[in-house]
Amino acid sequence: MSNDRRRLRLVASGGQGDQAGGADADAPRELDWTILMARAQDGDRTAYLRLLQEITPYLRSRVRRWHKDQWDIEDTVQDILLTLHSIRHTYDPARPFGPWLVGIANRRAIDRLRRLGRTVLRETELDIEHEAVPATPQEADGMIDRHHLEAAIEKLPPIQQKAVSLLKLKEMSLKDASAETGLSVASLKMATHRALRSLRAMLADRRDS
Amino acid sequence: MDTSDLIQSLAVNAGPVRRLRPPLVRAAGWLILAAAIMTALTISHGLRPQFAERMRDSLFAMNMMSSLLTGVLATVATFFVSLPDRSRWWLLLPAPALVPWLSTIGYQCFAGWVPVPPGAITVEAASGCLATLVLTSLPLSLVMLGMLRYTAALRPTSVVLMGSLAVSAITATALSMFHPLDATAMILGWNLGTALSFLGVAALISRRLATRRAGKGVRRRSCLDL
Repeated sequence: MSNDRRRLRLVASGGQGDQAGGADADAPRELDWTILMARAQDGDRTAYLRLLQEITPYLRSRVRRWHKDQWDIEDTVQDILLTLHSIRHTYDPARPFGPWLVGIANRRAIDRLRRLGRTVLRETELDIEHEAVPATPQEADGMIDRHHLEAAIEKLPPIQQKAVSLLKLKEMSLKDASAETGLSVASLKMATHRALRSLRAMLADRRDS
Repeated sequence: MDTSDLIQSLAVNAGPVRRLRPPLVRAAGWLILAAAIMTALTISHGLRPQFAERMRDSLFAMNMMSSLLTGVLATVATFFVSLPDRSRWWLLLPAPALVPWLSTIGYQCFAGWVPVPPGAITVEAASGCLATLVLTSLPLSLVMLGMLRYTAALRPTSVVLMGSLAVSAITATALSMFHPLDATAMILGWNLGTALSFLGVAALISRRLATRRAGKGVRRRSCLDL
């Protein structure tokens, strides 16, 4: 029990991923998991490691029923693994492992779905319409503004510069920009958001002065 | 953090754990403790006057039996439902005893409390009721909380409500043995009311957090009006 309270010590995976197992037939696999879990409860770390590696692909495919986004799926799988770890003493080796695991997995997946539902309700998708373009800019003003804007953009950190130039100046979609830069959609959004905030601050200063 | 890193970390941190005993055994353990507390309180308070006489009153006997049965069944249901691999249908287990119990509830404590006539004696009596019931149900609730703390990660709401029902029913049975007034309505109000108010506060807090996050969402939108 004192182990549960101890802080989690983080280690690197050393290259071997979580691709092991998962292809076996269902029934013997479940029996395997039951045995592995029972051993893990007795403190067998190798068995526990193997169990976690084997259930991860299964959990991923299960979570896919609820979540579409790759990040959500991965976060949910990690949530499930952490929950499993913290309540692993509640598993009774006399009973099958599958329903116990599925009970935890469903709970976590639905929890995240609820949270996402609440967030999505209040968020607005970032798209072209939200860009406020002056209605009919005067030619000369436009040139000056453009000049100021370019100067301001150059002062931004490189990632934000890239995000603004791809998403706002070249009007690429988030997906394309993500493919081109190799950054995730979330970090692109965040970079754009920060860039626009700094730009606004900079341009507002200029207007004031 | 990468999932494979997380797996490695979890495996490195996995020491041996002590398995939980089967839910029936745990429920029995809690019930034995409840019986011990009930007996101790009955001895210290003394059996209520005319207890044997009251027991001959079929309504009183039925009330007591059904509340005891509700307590036992709700305890069993709580311990079963707290585990991830058990069906939610366990929540229906106490229903057959709960219905006769609720249909025989008396309102003596409330009847004395709610109208509050000018003489403050009734309020005193009712607060006496409240003190006794808090004293009886608090240790039971705390022990159950300790025994079921792992369920916080699973289905806390139904377990909390079922556990409160178990504590209420056991407390009601205990009080009907040594308390001169029938306090069932107040007991249910106290135990389930406390549980519900905690759940309500939790819901409010989580909603407020969500709203605060939403505030950011709105700001993000307004930022675009460069």
